[in-house]
This record gives sequence, C-alpha cells and structure tokens, in this order.
Amino acid sequence: MTPWSGRGAQTRPASSLRVQRVGNVLQRNCVRLGGTPDGRPMMFAHGFGCDQEMWRFVVPAFEDDHRIVLFDHVGAGHSDLSAYDHAAYDSLRRYADDVVEICRELDLRDVVFVGHSVSAMIGVLALQSAPEHFGALVMIGPSPRYVDDGDYTGGFSRTDIAGLLDALDANHLGWSAQMAPVIMGVPDHPERAAELTNSFCRTDPDITRHFARVTFLSDNRADLAGVDVPTLVLQCSEDVIALEVVGRYVHEHIPGSTFTQLAATGHCPHLSAPEETAAAIRAFLPG
Amino acid sequence: MTVSRLRSAGAPDPDEFGRLDRLLDDDPADLYENAPMGYLSAVPDGRIVKVNRTFCGWIGRSADEVLGVRFQDLLSMGGRVYYETHLVPLLRMQGAVREIALDLVRADGTALACLANAVELRDDDGAPLLIRATLFEATARRRYERELLAAQQVAEESELRSLTLQQVVSDLAAAVSVEDVASVIVERSCEALLARGAALVLVEADPHDPEALPDLRPVRAEGLPENLLQELRDAAGSRLAVELTRGVRSIALTEQLRADQPSLSAALAAAALSELVIVPVTADGRGLGVLVLALGNAQGDLISLDEPGGSRELTTADVNLLWTIGRQAGQAVERARLHEQTARQAGRAAFLLEAARLLAEAADVTETADRLAGLVVTRLADLCVVDLDTEEGLIRPAVRHRDPARARVVDELRSRHLPRRSARHPSARALLSGGTEWVRTVDDEFLRAVAVDDEHLEAARALDLAAVVAVPLTAEGRHLGVLTVATDRERGPFTVADVEVVEQLALQLGLVVARAQRFDLAVRTSHALQDNLLPPAPPALEGLGIAVRYLAATRGVDVGGDFYDVIRMPGGEIGLAVGDVVGHDITAAATMGQLRSVYRALLADGPAPGAVIERLQTGWPLLGLQRMATALFATLDPASGRLRIASAGHPPPVLLVGGEASFLPVPPSRMLGAPPSVADEWIGVLPEGASLVLFTDGLVESRSADIDEGFALLLAAVASAGTSDPGALCDHLLAELTGPHRADDIALLVLTRV
Repeated sequence: MTPWSGRGAQTRPASSLRVQRVGNVLQRNCVRLGGTPDGRPMMFAHGFGCDQEMWRFVVPAFEDDHRIVLFDHVGAGHSDLSAYDHAAYDSLRRYADDVVEICRELDLRDVVFVGHSVSAMIGVLALQSAPEHFGALVMIGPSPRYVDDGDYTGGFSRTDIAGLLDALDANHLGWSAQMAPVIMGVPDHPERAAELTNSFCRTDPDITRHFARVTFLSDNRADLAGVDVPTLVLQCSEDVIALEVVGRYVHEHIPGSTFTQLAATGHCPHLSAPEETAAAIRAFLPG
Repeated sequence: MTVSRLRSAGAPDPDEFGRLDRLLDDDPADLYENAPMGYLSAVPDGRIVKVNRTFCGWIGRSADEVLGVRFQDLLSMGGRVYYETHLVPLLRMQGAVREIALDLVRADGTALACLANAVELRDDDGAPLLIRATLFEATARRRYERELLAAQQVAEESELRSLTLQQVVSDLAAAVSVEDVASVIVERSCEALLARGAALVLVEADPHDPEALPDLRPVRAEGLPENLLQELRDAAGSRLAVELTRGVRSIALTEQLRADQPSLSAALAAAALSELVIVPVTADGRGLGVLVLALGNAQGDLISLDEPGGSRELTTADVNLLWTIGRQAGQAVERARLHEQTARQAGRAAFLLEAARLLAEAADVTETADRLAGLVVTRLADLCVVDLDTEEGLIRPAVRHRDPARARVVDELRSRHLPRRSARHPSARALLSGGTEWVRTVDDEFLRAVAVDDEHLEAARALDLAAVVAVPLTAEGRHLGVLTVATDRERGPFTVADVEVVEQLALQLGLVVARAQRFDLAVRTSHALQDNLLPPAPPALEGLGIAVRYLAATRGVDVGGDFYDVIRMPGGEIGLAVGDVVGHDITAAATMGQLRSVYRALLADGPAPGAVIERLQTGWPLLGLQRMATALFATLDPASGRLRIASAGHPPPVLLVGGEASFLPVPPSRMLGAPPSVADEWIGVLPEGASLVLFTDGLVESRSADIDEGFALLLAAVASAGTSDPGALCDHLLAELTGPHRADDIALLVLTRV
C-alpha cells in the first residue's frame, strides 16, 4: 500500500502527510496538505472520473522541495457532497472559483498548478480570475473543447458524448445495484476479495453524469490566450480523449507555452508512467 | 469438484463416470479457448497479447486480427472514455476492477454489451506487468439494466410530472385574475420543460365584428423577445382559428422553417432558440389561446448535445403533461374571467347607482351635467363632454378631463369647437343619427377629419385620444343633446360593457334634461298665465277700503288656482269673490281663469250670490272645467252696508267689529263641480267701521295641519291686529299666519267699511 491509499477517517494517513481540514473551504474540497511546508506550493487537480488518489505515484517526486496541495473537486472523492448544486456547478468557472478559494484560504502564492484533463482548463480559468496566486501551469492531456466544431477537431461528435453519458449510466446502475461479486475470484490475492469492489473514484451517479456534461460540453478555447504564466502542455501518445492535435492547439494558443510529448500512452500518464510524467514536470520547473 | 464426490452421490452407472472423467480431463488450453467467457491479456498500455477464441468469435475477428490491437480500440467511443477515465485509474490504484460495463464494437460495426472484470499483475516493485480480463456477454443483462434504468427514469419523470401538475393545480386554485393564472402557467411549465421562456397568449375576438381576425393578447411572457409572438401570429395568419384547434406541437428551427417562415426563423435564431412548443389552452373544447414554450440550443454555457439544426422529439409523456396543463390553464382562465366579469359588473352597477343618485338630486341641468361629467372622468373615461340642443342652439354645459393639467385644452373645447360644425364629428353624428357612435381607434386621420381648424386639431392632438363614444340624449323621441366620452392612450380602448354604461348614463341624463325642459316650459307658461289670469288691482270704491294679497305656493309653478275678485256691479253694489280651484298647476290656474270669466259674465244680470253658485253648479258640465272648486260670492251695498254671502264649500269670512273677530255664519252648500243644489245665503249688514276678511284655506293651513286650530289662530290674529286698515290687516295676518314656505296658494281679501 502506498502512503496515499489511506483516506480520511477510514484509515490513518501515512506519516509524511498531515491531514489538515481547516475551514469550510478545505473541508468542502477535502484539501490535504503535504510535502515541505516552506517549499513552493504545488497544487494537483484531478480530472473527470477519479479523485486526488490518482496523484499518488507522482506526488512523491515533489514532496522534498514543494508544499503539496491535494484536493477533490466538489462532487468527487471525499468532498462534501452536500455542497454540490447542479445549478451552481453547471460551468467550469465554479470549479475554478473553488480552486481560487482554496488558494486564498491557504494564502498560496506562486503556485505550480498541475491539472489533469478538464482540470487543466479549470486551472486556466482560476488563473484568469485570480492571477495573484499562480506562478506556473502544468496541463496534462488538456482539451479546451472536446466536441468538433467546423475546422476545429476536438475528437468527439455529439453522438460520442451521448454514448459516454450512456456508458456512465450503464456502469453506475451496476454499482448502485450492488451486484453480487460472484463471477470471479482474485487468483493472486484471494485475501483481498473484499477490496475488489470499485472502492475508489466512486461518486454519486447524478453528479458524475452532470460533471461529464460540463467537462465534455464546455468550450474554453477563447480563454487560452489569456494565460500569462509559464505553461507546460504534457501530451500523451495515443490518447483518445485528448488528441495530440488538440494538445498542439492548446500549445499554439498559449503564448510562450512548452509542449512536451510523452511516450506514455492513454489519458493518465501520471498513473501509467509516473516517472516520465514527474521528470517532464521537473524539467519544466526552474532549478 | 471431483469425480469421487460425484460417485459418493450414488449415481448408478460406472460407465457414466468414465465419460465424465474424460470430459473433465479435457485439455486446459481448450477450456481457455472455448470457455463461455472472453479471456484476454494485455500489456499495461492496453495492447492485447493473448485472447481466447470465444472473445474472437464474439467480435467477429480472428485472433491474428486482435493480437497487438489495444483493447480500448475495440470499444465504443463511450467505452473508450470510460476505460481511460475509470478503468485504468482503478486498475492502477486497486489492482482490480469488476463488473465494468463496456460495449465492444464487432467487425460489422454492431455493439456487443459486455461486463468486464480485470486484474493487474505487478512486479515486486508494484509496477504493472499485465492486465488479465474476463468478459461476459451481457446483452440480456444490459437490456435488463437499461430497462431498469429507463423505468427508473420514467418513474422519476412521472413523479416530476405529477409533482408539476400538483403544483399547477394548487397554484391555480389561488389564482384570482387571468394575470395570476398566466403567471402560474408560464412559471410552472417553464420549470417542467426546462424551457428558456414561455408565454400565455389568449385570443380576444371582437364581439362587434365576428368576421375580423381575433386578436392575440400575450397575458404574460417570460424570456421571449417581443417580436417573436407577433411573428407567430403573423405566421398563423388567417388560419389562426384552425391553428388553435390543433394539439400540442413543435415548431423547430429547421431548414424547412427557414424556407417557409423566414422572419419567424430569424426571430428564433436571434433569440438563440431552437424550438417553440405550442400548447392549446382550452376549456370545454373551446380554444382560448395557446401556451408557447421556447426551447433553447443549450443550457448555460455548455455545448448542446443536439446536432445543430436538429430537434429533440417531445416525449408522449411531455405532450400529455402539456396537454393537461393547457386544459387546466383554460379552465382557470374561464374561472378568472367569470370572476373578473362579476367584479366588473358589480363595479358598473355601483357606478350607475351613484350616477342615478346624482341625477335624482338634479336641480339645475348645467350643474347636473357638470357633476355627472366629473363622475365619468373619475371612473369610466378621461374626457367627458355634454352638449345640449336648445332653442338658442347647441350649448355645452359640461367639459371635464381626468387630468386637471389638461384644463386649458378642455376650456378651449368648452368655449369653441362645438361639434355641429363638422359632420364627421362623432357627437354631431350621434345627434343626427340618434344612435351611439363608437370610434374604436382614434388616429390622426380621424382627428384631421373632425377638426374645424388647426387650433382645434392641435387641441384634439394634445388630448392623445384612444377611443371616443358619443351617445345621444333622447327622451320622448326627441334628441336633446349628446353625451361624448373619450379615453386617452394610457387608459386604452373602451370595452363593450363600457359603452353600455355610457348608454345607460345618456338615457338617464336624457330624462333629466327632458324633465328640466318640461319644467322650464311649465314655469314660463305659468308666469304668462298668471299675468293674464290674476285680477287687476281692485278699484277704488267710495266708502270702502279694500286690500288684496295673493301668495303662490313656494313649491312648483308660481301660480295656482286661488282667485279673488272685486267689481262694481251695474246696480251700484259691489261684487266680491274668493275661490280656490283644486290643485296648484297650470290646469288649476286655467280653471281659475275660466271660472273668473264665467263669474263676471254672470254678474251682468246682477244675480244674488246664491244664484251665482246655483248657475255655476248647473253649468259646470257645460263649461268643461276639469277641476272642482270652492268659492265665496258676496254682494255689498256700500251705502247701506247690506251684505249677502253664499258659500260653495268655502270657509266662511271673518267679521271684525269693534276689535272682536268672529266667523260669519254663512250656510255652506256644495262645491262647484258637484251636482246642483240650493245655495242658501247669509244676509245682513256690515256695520260701519267693521272689516270683512275673505281668505282661501292656504292661510289657515299654513301654520297648522289641523284646520280647526288654523281657524282659531286666524280669529286670534284678526282680533289682535289692532287695526281695521285693510292693507295693515292683510300684512299682519300674513306675518302671523304664514312662514317662508307655503304648500298652498293664499288669496286674502280685506274689506273695511269706513
């Protein structure tokens, strides 16, 4: 078990991390702090489909010289679900406002904001509304618009998005119906059978579906030009969600940004290739 | 599971077990390849390195085609996203996932619903080595799940719909006005359909012109641009009546619509709307209007999932809900209209009652017209003008405007610009035609046609008129004048009910004017008659002092049926008469005039007073006199004082002798007009210095209702006069016995023998 698998009250957190839940904002977003208190703040924002757990393989690479700030978007992970409101969270701006509130609550300056997938754009919006907190932006698999639009290729048709929403429905029904896990055992670790349910990244099906809509139906292309901090675009190989052409579009529209092509495939390089991901970020950061 | 355990179960045939053993000892490789589930192994990036025949068969590809392909590339697009956003992270973090629903895409492009379980094999450092997955074909299960999900959604929507309906019904129960109803319907239907805007539009037909296109009135509109409703109405055009009878339907912004209704399409596009839903609002099958719901391209900032130019279909349940809301709205509108109508009727009745009270108090036509106009401009209209057609021509006794600031314009209208000069003026037309003239819409063309000059036009324009109604004042078949009322643009047009109220007012005002005109005629006629009928001042007679007083009743016409007469007869005697014709009107005065003429004619023969009564009674039917009368007739010889008096039902005279007053005991006979009878006379001598007081009953009934008490008061007054001077005695009696108000005429004659 890695230190990051312990969650909140369920399990004691690993020794290197202090759980701080101070104030409503931090509680609402299940903010967890770690790393070096005096270090440059580094804030990791998870994308659609999971929660702050997905950073567990990358964070150790920065703990020694950065103050680590992890959080769950409202509606995900261990955030306060009662704070979720469909009407309020029907735009990425509200998620960006939450990020700014966390920064303000913790009085963070010169933050390196690491956003995966939709959170890369949430970072752009947060920077736009409160530039005083941010010093650098790392965008992992970003896309300012998923739906194709004229000459712009986002990689998805409307039918594709409808299919995704359908897939979400299909899976959440299975989870919520508590289907008995009788089909197959776990040959290698029979003692862990109890953990075999999909215990991570579980969210309320309605919220997931709504977040999927907001994620995949937003258009933030016009916001890219306003980014004026050092920015790294990390592009995976063979990423069906964030196509390379989209990553290049982001790079071209953020003045002075750095584009790094990863060998890692898929949409989650911080999971599939944490070392390469960490190294690319490290290379981007000064010193 | 082992054969030995099966054996212990006591199966009878040993050969059976032999075959079973052989089956169970089957090649594990064959079990892998042909297991009733799909097996595959993939390296961490998803590339498939081992796959069984079952899986290949499912997706219609050979193993060679599958090996080396990334597993996620065999999934539907939704499945791929789910794989990347959920399955990969879960595998990495918890090492296994189970029962993930995914759709495989077969070689022929069709989807195969699967459930996947997967484990991640890791090296000693925890790094991923291999993913092993098993897939179960789950078409039936997924269908079942979809049905469950659909049922759940239907149940939720059904619950939402019944909640919406409940709210609509309970909100409508509290709605009093049509505006309340519209507010509830627009708000609730917007919520139910997540519409961008809505409007309740009611049809208002013109009751005076059934051929005209009914007007559409948006009672309440939210989130809809103003021009859109007008475009809709124009689009419906002459087929509006047909359109209203149709069911719930949708007008989507399609290429077809752009071609057919370019301006409507442009209005929709400008408002970023993609579709209008038209819901009939009905009550008992009658179409009252429509509820228009506007659906937009997207909610908030998000991109619409609908293909551009496409439109979503309304579900049957939505259509049913809207249909029901439409009917609920229709019934509520009917109820509210009934309520408003009742309230309006009550208001009108109160207004008419107030007007009737005002008219009943009418003293003077000008004042009455002015007060009525004042009432009209507080409640019914902004401008009220009364014109009367008189012998002197058209006069304008009242012009009132609601706004005192417009007084100057109104004064101009009062002093000038009388309507007769313009034949197109509604007041003039009403006076000519004898019927109501209703100008529903006042435009500048109308004003130019009506105005007599530029100043008049400016004055009329300044009033900003919207509608005019002119109703003639008619009574007894004559047009006496015209009542004209007008609204300005702030108040808006008249309703049919308003016009009916104006007609009621005109009817009542007409009666008042007619009554006043009759009254006026009667007054003038009476004065003329009085001048002619009342006797001249009595002649000066030697040896006699005579004074007369005539006081008409203070109410009504200034002349009545009382009379007196003093005349020197041919033989030197003096003829005296005092009489009282029943009634106090023109007829009474005329009768009195005739009676006095006939009496004088009779005197030519010098008949005794009793004979005068007998002759008058006998001749009464021949004279054709319509009223009865009482009278005293007397003859007096001034030289001897010989006096003869006869009474036809009249009070006896008072004799004042030496300060003592007494009634002269004249034997009464029947009134004039009664059948003839013998009239006895009192015959005696009036002493020198004595006075005789002849009077009509107005004198004794003035202070007291009781005639006997009146007689006693009279005697006391005569006795207390302390004078025998006829004039002084008259004045004393009138001062003592009459007040400022008299119900009856008084004729008083005092004669003193000096």
